[in-house]
Amino acid sequence: MFKLEPLAAGKVKLVGRLDAAEAEQASSAFAGLDGPIDADCSALEYISSAGISVLMVTYKRLHQKGHVFRLSAVQPRVRNVFIYSGLAPLLGIE
Amino acid sequence: MLVRRFPRAVASLPALVAFVREFFTAQGLDSERVFDVDLVIEELFTNMVRHARGGGDAIELALDHDAGLLTVRLRDEDVDPWDPSSAPPPDFDKPTHQRRAGGLGIFLVHKLSRDVRFEHADRTTTVTARLEVAR
Repeated sequence: MFKLEPLAAGKVKLVGRLDAAEAEQASSAFAGLDGPIDADCSALEYISSAGISVLMVTYKRLHQKGHVFRLSAVQPRVRNVFIYSGLAPLLGIE
Repeated sequence: MLVRRFPRAVASLPALVAFVREFFTAQGLDSERVFDVDLVIEELFTNMVRHARGGGDAIELALDHDAGLLTVRLRDEDVDPWDPSSAPPPDFDKPTHQRRAGGLGIFLVHKLSRDVRFEHADRTTTVTARLEVAR
């Protein structure tokens, strides 16, 4: 299961597993985001290439409008996947 | 070795995840390592679902463990020859928005595995990946 929870203005929380089975529903949820976004990933347990692709589509869409899309509090295993993918710097992952 | 067949559909992923948990518990493996195993299986399985031509209703997944080395084996029967390792890896020199989609999954499989082997014989594709999962 994956959920995109709105927190405050410009803040969302990613919860659960962002895999290929959840990617379609997640895409619709992310498509509703606008403006600069800080995404809290402290409860994101898992991500695969399908999930990364959802986040990159979101990054590109917001970036083209001049908005920042960054991920915060990323768990170590999830962080590794972003580092291996070469996408960590784009998404503000240190 | 634990072997099970799963419907050829991305919707099988939660069942694959449950199967891996069952194996980890039975073998007393460190659950810290389950992330990489899930990722390798998801990428290989979804590649088969999406790209293999032909194929029956189900794909077989076998898990085995010996001395800290976990073997993942996926078998897809009655399919045309197919080798996802022939897909070019992501081109990290290109700006992200110019990179082609796809290829990333298999790249991650190689990154997380000690070794990966693709074979095709008698219309069956077998992919075997070995990962280190020390107890």
